[in-house]
Amino acid sequence: MNNEKKIYGITATFKTPDEIINAAKKVSNAGYIHFDVNTPYPVHGMDGAMKIKPSKLGFVTLVMGLSGAAIALLLMFWTMSVDYPIVIGGKPFFALPAFIPITFELTVLLATLSTVGAMIALFFRLPDNQHPLHDTEYMKSVSADKYGVVIEAEDVKFDEKSVLDFLKTLNPISTEIVFYPVVEEYPIFQPKFIMFLIAIAIVVSGGTYFSLNKLTIITPFNWMMEQDRVNAQSPSELFADGRGMRTPVEGTVAKGFIPYPYKGQTNPTEVLANPFLPTKENIALGKAKYFTYCTPCHGDFADGDSRLRGQFPNPPTLHSKRARDFSDGMIYHIITNGQNVMPSYASQITRDERWAIVNYVRVLQRAKNASDADLIDMNKEAGSNVAN
Amino acid sequence: MNIDYSQEMPTVAGRLTLAQIEELVAKPMDTKPDKKFYIALSISGTLLMIGATMLAISLYYGTGMWGNNQPVGWAFPIVNFVFWVGIGHAGTLISAILFLLRQKWRTGIARFAEAMTIFAVICAGIFPVIHTGRPWLAGYLLPYPNQHGLWVNFTSPLLWDVFAVSTYLTVSFVFWYVGLIPDFATMRDRSSSKIKKTIYSTFSLGWRHSNRHWTHYEKAYMLLAGFATPLVLSVHTIVSFDFAVSILPGWHATIFPPYFVAGAIFSGFAMVVTVLVFVRKIFDLQHIITIDHLEKMNKIILATGMMVGYAYAMEFFIAWYSGNPVESFVFINRAFGPYAWAYWIMVSCNVIFPQFFWFRKIRRSIPIMMVIVIFVNVGMWFERFVITVTSLSRDFLPSSWAYYKPTLVDGGILLGSFGLFFTLVILFTKALPVVSISEIKAVADGAQPTHHGGEHHE
Amino acid sequence: MSQTDFHYQKKELPASLSRLGIIIFVVGTVLSLLAFFVDQERAIFNYLVTYMMIVSIGLGSLFLIGLEYIAGADWSTPIRRIPEFFAMLLPVLFVLVIPILVFNHDLFHWAHKEAVADDKILQGKAPYLNETFFIVRTFVFIGLWSLFYFVMTRNSRKQDETKDQTLTKKNIRLGAIFIPVFALSITFTAVDLMMSLEPHWFSTIYGVYYFAGTVVASLAAITIAVILLKEKGYFGSWMTNDHLFSLGALLFAFINFWAYIAFSQFMLIWYADLPEETFWYLTRWNGGWVFISLLLIVTHFLVPYFALLTQPSKMNPKVLKFIAVWLLFAHLLDMFWLIMPNMGSMKSGYIFSWIDLVFPIAGTGLVIFVFAFAAKKANLIPIGDPKLKRGIDFHL
Repeated sequence: MNNEKKIYGITATFKTPDEIINAAKKVSNAGYIHFDVNTPYPVHGMDGAMKIKPSKLGFVTLVMGLSGAAIALLLMFWTMSVDYPIVIGGKPFFALPAFIPITFELTVLLATLSTVGAMIALFFRLPDNQHPLHDTEYMKSVSADKYGVVIEAEDVKFDEKSVLDFLKTLNPISTEIVFYPVVEEYPIFQPKFIMFLIAIAIVVSGGTYFSLNKLTIITPFNWMMEQDRVNAQSPSELFADGRGMRTPVEGTVAKGFIPYPYKGQTNPTEVLANPFLPTKENIALGKAKYFTYCTPCHGDFADGDSRLRGQFPNPPTLHSKRARDFSDGMIYHIITNGQNVMPSYASQITRDERWAIVNYVRVLQRAKNASDADLIDMNKEAGSNVAN
Repeated sequence: MNIDYSQEMPTVAGRLTLAQIEELVAKPMDTKPDKKFYIALSISGTLLMIGATMLAISLYYGTGMWGNNQPVGWAFPIVNFVFWVGIGHAGTLISAILFLLRQKWRTGIARFAEAMTIFAVICAGIFPVIHTGRPWLAGYLLPYPNQHGLWVNFTSPLLWDVFAVSTYLTVSFVFWYVGLIPDFATMRDRSSSKIKKTIYSTFSLGWRHSNRHWTHYEKAYMLLAGFATPLVLSVHTIVSFDFAVSILPGWHATIFPPYFVAGAIFSGFAMVVTVLVFVRKIFDLQHIITIDHLEKMNKIILATGMMVGYAYAMEFFIAWYSGNPVESFVFINRAFGPYAWAYWIMVSCNVIFPQFFWFRKIRRSIPIMMVIVIFVNVGMWFERFVITVTSLSRDFLPSSWAYYKPTLVDGGILLGSFGLFFTLVILFTKALPVVSISEIKAVADGAQPTHHGGEHHE
Repeated sequence: MSQTDFHYQKKELPASLSRLGIIIFVVGTVLSLLAFFVDQERAIFNYLVTYMMIVSIGLGSLFLIGLEYIAGADWSTPIRRIPEFFAMLLPVLFVLVIPILVFNHDLFHWAHKEAVADDKILQGKAPYLNETFFIVRTFVFIGLWSLFYFVMTRNSRKQDETKDQTLTKKNIRLGAIFIPVFALSITFTAVDLMMSLEPHWFSTIYGVYYFAGTVVASLAAITIAVILLKEKGYFGSWMTNDHLFSLGALLFAFINFWAYIAFSQFMLIWYADLPEETFWYLTRWNGGWVFISLLLIVTHFLVPYFALLTQPSKMNPKVLKFIAVWLLFAHLLDMFWLIMPNMGSMKSGYIFSWIDLVFPIAGTGLVIFVFAFAAKKANLIPIGDPKLKRGIDFHL
């Protein structure tokens, strides 16, 4: 039996902490290197007795802690100062005092997790539930209240008999030879079983998907997509005609509506006064609207020479004496009300935009029919600009 | 009673052997739960169900079910959050700070206190999340590149809370688990049932009590304690920043960080004493959690209670000294305004009642101790209530002053958090060793070599 | 070593120590008096800096004694005499405080009646900030400290002969009473002597901030004394690096605590950005002060933090001695930073003057002399203390 199994090591168990310290010292002084002491709790002075060097775990902590701090600071710097800088509470984009709490937390988090992770995985090589010492009488006793030493077969000085004799000289309560466990076959890793697991996974997930999404319709959080109101253009069962939208009742006035007093009059006796000054912005707006709505007929420069010329009764030039003599209000009235073939533009162009167009038409008229006096004015302005 | 100061007080009373200690600690796990256990569990479970129902109501109908109003938007949820986070602090303090101070008496209570930390932080975490009104969007609190193209606001104390509380929970859990590994191994080796053995083996990670491991293990424990200590301070400091970085009178005080930390330790110790008194009785742990330990904790309660009292006094003094009329108003309003009742509950429970602990007899009398620590728990809850509610209900604009009254739903959720806490505690007592077996063995009589490391003995 | 037969033979400190103290003190005092004639205002502000430094060492030491008793600590018992010697500075304060009271008009804006008359806020504070009450408070605090010092050290010394355990019990009680007294008195001392230099400014954490610095300074002083005495062989062979480690760890803890408190105060004021609070920091950001402010962070936190971070460095007497001296300077700088920017002509920026250097010289001489004087009257080790054996046996 003994010859078939490979020896892991020989153990000896002791009763008191003094004995184990003594035993550890003797074992290490005897020149064994691959040996270990197992005690239910850390015994003071054991590191010295076993000649164990101080743990290097602190370096992992230091490096990972500093990395945590760096990561936190870089993340906050990048998000708050580079990627999406917003002024918050008048603080600078890189508000260092306000970043310190999170820097600290991430330092601690990373340092702790990596210390423990490194300790378990790198320093201990755990989890290891297949270790030969498990499930031995030796492990049971050192787990409770005994103190044990194990000399491993790996050691160059290992020799079953001499080690056993040596351990006996230390007056242990008991000694035990520990073998490597027979490698077990785990049914869990057989392909058949794995296929079975996969099949179950498919059935369960498919069934869940089908029953949740196809049989029953569950929308746990619909993110406000469904609300108790009628959307525009959608049907409603509430009304007899089945429509969600209703025609407004007679006399309904839209918000902000101001009635136009000269509506429908071809030649009004009086018109509105222009409420807008021909400022740069206003004229720019007028120009934009003029190019959108007026140029198709009246042409880019109001000469009545548009691309549609000949397809309709020709639109008149706006540079005629008559047009130039119109008051602002009259031009506004024509845009609002329409004239001859020209329809009303009241629904397309807002009030303010109409007035802006009027101002722009005035600009065109003055530009096309400039007098000498205008030229003097212009030179004056240009001269004054130069002087400035 | 005369104390011999030349002797260190034994950590484990009654000269128990290692095997006896192990037997005592492992007993709740080896035996089937008795009637008392089920009664306790059903009481706490009922509270938990009440809380769950109230929470479901709040989620279904919305946060309008709560008493929160204008201007008191930070009402019960924040009060409860700060309360529970505070409770959590004692655990880390006992396991980390007392470890660094090499106070051996901590071993009997550390495991339990750590567990309470984790449970309390879990309870605490619920409140800010439900206070958002849409807890399912809590993921937005994490800084990940999202579809909105936005980042979280790293300069906001509320975000610091997210980081602080989640780090605290993680680190406490890791700390706790690291402490449990050797105990899982011990439980593995003493259990005969196959299922138990498999579970314990898995969690023990195959720990072998090897001294080559113990070296690193002790180092790691030291490092973890070194990190947990500033962490525990930082957590309540950041919680205090939630209030103190604002300019609201009564919230903006530079003493808030240490004041909150002291208060947290104060309330946490009170909670630990409250629970331990029962635990040591029910599980016959009087030899391990001795009256001396309780007395020491009561001393700490007295000390931290006075620190809290100092902070109250300083706030009042500086409110007057600053010459800032709004600041002085807030403090007079606290003491004599509509919430005066809450203020005086707070002062009497936190500052006056703990003064009884000056007397040794009272420190060592379990019934009186129980009354006082429960008063402290109540008082510390009211402290957070006073800070949050009085300042908000009457701030700069008298036209928007309003009196805040919690609703039944608010109360139900608070009860539920106690239910959750105690349910977890009760399950813990049955599932895991409530005292660290390996640590308590290490400080038992005769557990260490007689001469230091045997070095002078050759 | 066997501890049962621990015999202590008192070894007197050399007389040269107190001579050295006197020489430094006299030189410093002469220079300081000269400074008074050159620039009285600057001199009295500097005097206050050194005065607060001495309060820190003396009061911090007494606090540590009280703390040892009530915490039941044993590792520090064998070196308890060192803080007891330093605490003798407390009764000396009765004399040292007089110049501050005499020249209080140079120091305190609120002491000027005409300034208070047209300042609403100062009028509101007048019930607290007035000369009579100020003087009463100052003397009451010094009186209380001296009282506790005398009673506690007398008990401790009596125990050397009687070995009476009830004396320990008495001191535990006294310590328990002293700590609350200490908390209040140190807070109001800080408010009176430093915060009220800028009478419009206020911070609730101010007392805690000064307390943190106090403990750092007194621990540093104790560490220096312990290491020097150990090197010269005044303690037996029992004094191990484990004892030093405890001192180092406490220093490390308290520089962190100081940084925590300092950061909390700064952070809250910076974040809330209220003009009635920020001006205090802005003054310390003017002209040359910005460098002193940044230097303070480096000297009082960053350098000692990294120097004491690892376990071996906390045990290394050389590192520890260097850092302890360093921290005394850091605390001096801290006091300087708290006090000097309040001087009218210094508000716009720091301008160096030799006056800033002479007062700490006199202070150092005084501390050495008082230490040597106190050491003459008592054993260097509290041989009668029941916790002594445990303290000597102390190992990590």
